[in-house]
Amino acid sequence: MNFLKNISIIGLFLLTFASVQSSYAADDVKIGLVYPLSGTSASVGKATVDACEIAAKIINEPTPGFEDLPLGAGKGLPGLGGAKLKLIPVDTQGNPGEGQAQTLRLITQEKVSSLLGAYHSAVAITTTAVAERYGVPFVIGDSVAANITERGFKWTFRVTPIASDFAQSYIQFLDELKKNGRTVNNIAIVFENTDYGVSVSGTVRNIAKQFGLNIVADLAYNANSADVSAQVLQLKDKKPDAVIFISYTADAILYAKTMKSLDYMPPVLIGDDAGFSDFAFINSVGNIAQGVVDRSAWVVGPKGSLSYKINELFKAKTGRDMDDTSARGMQAFFVLADAINRAGSTKPEAIQAALKSTNLKPEQLFMGYKGVKFDEKGQNILASTYLTQLIGNQYYTVYPTKGAEKTLVYPYKGWK
Amino acid sequence: MNKSIEKFLWGLLILALLVFPISFDNPYYEQLGSLVLLSAISASAWNLIGGYAGQVSVGNVVFFGAGAYMPLLFYHIWGISPLWGFPVGVVVSLVIAILIGIPTFRLSGHYFSMATIAVAELIRIVVSNWDFLGASVGLTGPAVSDRWSDLVFRSSMPYYYMFLFTLFVVLLVTYRIENSRFGYYLRAIKSGERAAKSLGVPVSRYKLYIFMISAVFTSLAGSLYAVKFGFIDPNSGFGLLISVNMIIIAALGGAGRLLGPLLGAIVLIPLQSETNSLFGGGGTGITYIINGAIIMLIACYEPGGLLNLWDRISAKYFSKGAPKDDA
Amino acid sequence: MIFLQVLVSGLLIGAVYALFSSGLTLVWGMMNVINFAHGEFVMLGMYVAFVALTALHFGVTSFGVLAAILLFILGGVVYFILIRRVMRGPMLAQILATFGLLLVLRYSAFMAFGSDFVNLPEDILGPSLNWGGILLSAPKLVAGVTALVITIGMHLMLTKTMLGSKILAVAENPNAAMLMGIQPDRMQAIAWGISGASAGIAGALIATFYPISATVGESLGLIAFVVVTFGGFGSVPGAMLAGLLIGVIESLSAFYFGPVYQDVVVYALFVLVLWFRPQGLMGKKS
Repeated sequence: MNFLKNISIIGLFLLTFASVQSSYAADDVKIGLVYPLSGTSASVGKATVDACEIAAKIINEPTPGFEDLPLGAGKGLPGLGGAKLKLIPVDTQGNPGEGQAQTLRLITQEKVSSLLGAYHSAVAITTTAVAERYGVPFVIGDSVAANITERGFKWTFRVTPIASDFAQSYIQFLDELKKNGRTVNNIAIVFENTDYGVSVSGTVRNIAKQFGLNIVADLAYNANSADVSAQVLQLKDKKPDAVIFISYTADAILYAKTMKSLDYMPPVLIGDDAGFSDFAFINSVGNIAQGVVDRSAWVVGPKGSLSYKINELFKAKTGRDMDDTSARGMQAFFVLADAINRAGSTKPEAIQAALKSTNLKPEQLFMGYKGVKFDEKGQNILASTYLTQLIGNQYYTVYPTKGAEKTLVYPYKGWK
Repeated sequence: MNKSIEKFLWGLLILALLVFPISFDNPYYEQLGSLVLLSAISASAWNLIGGYAGQVSVGNVVFFGAGAYMPLLFYHIWGISPLWGFPVGVVVSLVIAILIGIPTFRLSGHYFSMATIAVAELIRIVVSNWDFLGASVGLTGPAVSDRWSDLVFRSSMPYYYMFLFTLFVVLLVTYRIENSRFGYYLRAIKSGERAAKSLGVPVSRYKLYIFMISAVFTSLAGSLYAVKFGFIDPNSGFGLLISVNMIIIAALGGAGRLLGPLLGAIVLIPLQSETNSLFGGGGTGITYIINGAIIMLIACYEPGGLLNLWDRISAKYFSKGAPKDDA
Repeated sequence: MIFLQVLVSGLLIGAVYALFSSGLTLVWGMMNVINFAHGEFVMLGMYVAFVALTALHFGVTSFGVLAAILLFILGGVVYFILIRRVMRGPMLAQILATFGLLLVLRYSAFMAFGSDFVNLPEDILGPSLNWGGILLSAPKLVAGVTALVITIGMHLMLTKTMLGSKILAVAENPNAAMLMGIQPDRMQAIAWGISGASAGIAGALIATFYPISATVGESLGLIAFVVVTFGGFGSVPGAMLAGLLIGVIESLSAFYFGPVYQDVVVYALFVLVLWFRPQGLMGKKS
């Protein structure tokens, strides 16, 4: 017993001081991926890392069918003499402190040229702060809290649309419905009570008021609740014409199930990304949540399109369709790779300058953005989103109505 | 052990701590060192109530959070230096300690622990819904700044020395208590409250005092955390996991011993960081499994912590029989 | 009308709370050990149900039984490997031991099943029943009835059977029990097994209406603690009553004050109970 104990403790000490040296080819360009790979959001983090790995493969090796994509020729980065991209993912554990520590390690130990992250807005705040202090470009693909780009940072670049963009889309969509003769006067907002839910719901509330919509129920709830019957009953009681949910996956699933068990169907159900576009949501409750409207800048698209081909690669790697969050991460990755290529060097200042002068056209993207161009706060002013609707087991674009894949199904069908 | 050898080792330890950041020109190690010290401070603070007095508080995070929110709040609302928040955090923590302590100290063992959990969770939920404190979005501090009083440093070194100084103060206080009558009373309380009471020890009063002292230092640790990371939200400020970590670090090194928490921090923090760096990128959660296994091993085989283990080993190999008598 | 529905919904979820808390109170009351990993037992029960249904094609009734059996074994194993060593030690060691167990169980499940959520097929126990305008979710109803049956069963077993009296004897005074020829080790292992089994069945039932993932134990575990403290350590009927009460209070507060406040109300009550009546509703005063 004593021996075993002593050995275990000695083993611990040795483990503490062991370090792993990885070897990369001398001219590899290193990019750090800062995402949650454990904890409640691990599935999203992993999916994004998977997506970025696919993107790196498309850039590093010739893959047929992707020649239209910038750097899609598969010859590495021509601007750096064909250098290959090397990804270094780290686990933030969804924790701002751990994220910051890992980012510091990426910058000072791994000497990455740039960083991509971070999903959780709280983690994005601390990790971009480190990057700012050390002068390393940090590209944000998916975190939507407004304050991330409101701090006067020079090294943070956000490709994704933000909370206020989504709120604008939802309310304009509802307004258009109203103009087409549907009753849309009262709405309800149901949001989970962390920075994500609070920031998005805040913007929704403001814009709704501007358009003269009446908010009859404004329900904040704690994420990962065991039961949401009371919330659904409140909705049933107040009878809004449209409900906007801002939830992560587990809650989204729980709401769908609870609504069925309590027989409640609003005329319009909007689910703000995160939980609702998650593959797990479609898989487990898609058949009882038919017609849920979601926002997405990503759709699989028709066969033969660029997005379809990318989705095929993603499906081959992970066994499922790509979702909006990981797609946004992948798009941001391409933006970063393109900037590094134009910079022609891995020096941070060069990449920063290249990012600042980014001007990508919609044809060069596979997301539905109007382009990529950063303002002086580092926000992509051409970011935008579609609204999509779950029909069958896939989301199709329904708004803006011009160019939409399908017409909106009204009212919400749920399980009928 | 020989008194002069002891003094030498102490000197060595202090020297090592002082020169550590200068000897490696590596920001990551500096950061790691700062984290070790920070954890050592909160664990040492917990050690006062949990190790010496034997009252296992699982809610000490409440003081950490209070200490962490104040500096950033001051910066956020009035734009003044976070330093002003430090003493305010301490005062708030003291008030909370008194409010919790007075009713709960008459509860024994498990009830006290559960009560501390309940209060911590209650405060976390209240804070997440209080807009003044940033609700669930949290508060950010300055990211870059010209004033030194904003405590924003690019390198980890200044933080390291701030933390080292605070740790020194906590340990000094602990040492003084350990060797005073107060400490004697605490040990009596730890071994048996009823017996202590019957001997005339003012049990509730002293439990409250040590709780308050623990609160003060935990609050300072929180304030230091806030200025280093520049961000706080209900989870990073009031999450139960933070409390549990304090307990684990103190217990790993040796609860109820002066240097236990520091030792625990030196061993565990780099271990956690390394395993996350080594395995975390794979996303299998193996970091946590390793942590869990370590914790279980300690609980089963050496609940007195590494210091206890060392005592046993050295008693067997170095004393050759009867322990030497110190002059 | 809607008030009744809110009330009924509260009772239903409360019954589920009662179900998975009864095991925890048994262990806590019996040997004064706080099992921080109790939520993970429930989580494992959920996964057993999932695997049994999808991979092994078990029927609806049998996956609950399978979960009970497997978790019974796990409970016993945990007792022998871990708890036995730390039971008599300082409370610190116990807290550490079960917390370490929590991490190992939760992240082993994470490693084995991945981070995605999984679900049992919708409506596996049938659609909601309509009882005069009040909708009763079938899985919760089944869980509620099962909770009642198991709670009563456990109570009867403890008070009326030979095995039960042996277990209680060990709880009260292990040395005296040993002198009477009862083996404390075995009884305590059985108690842990029962605790595991009830958590397993609870998990299997919860899986019919709640998304399954490795981190589910976090929220469920905390609820179990509140219920057990409210009801009184060691009292299985107390856990039942407390579970129902908390379910109803949560439901009413969420509906009338706002969902966010449901936790505030419950924790505030929790704190008050600890202040004024620490032994809970039905526990023994110590």
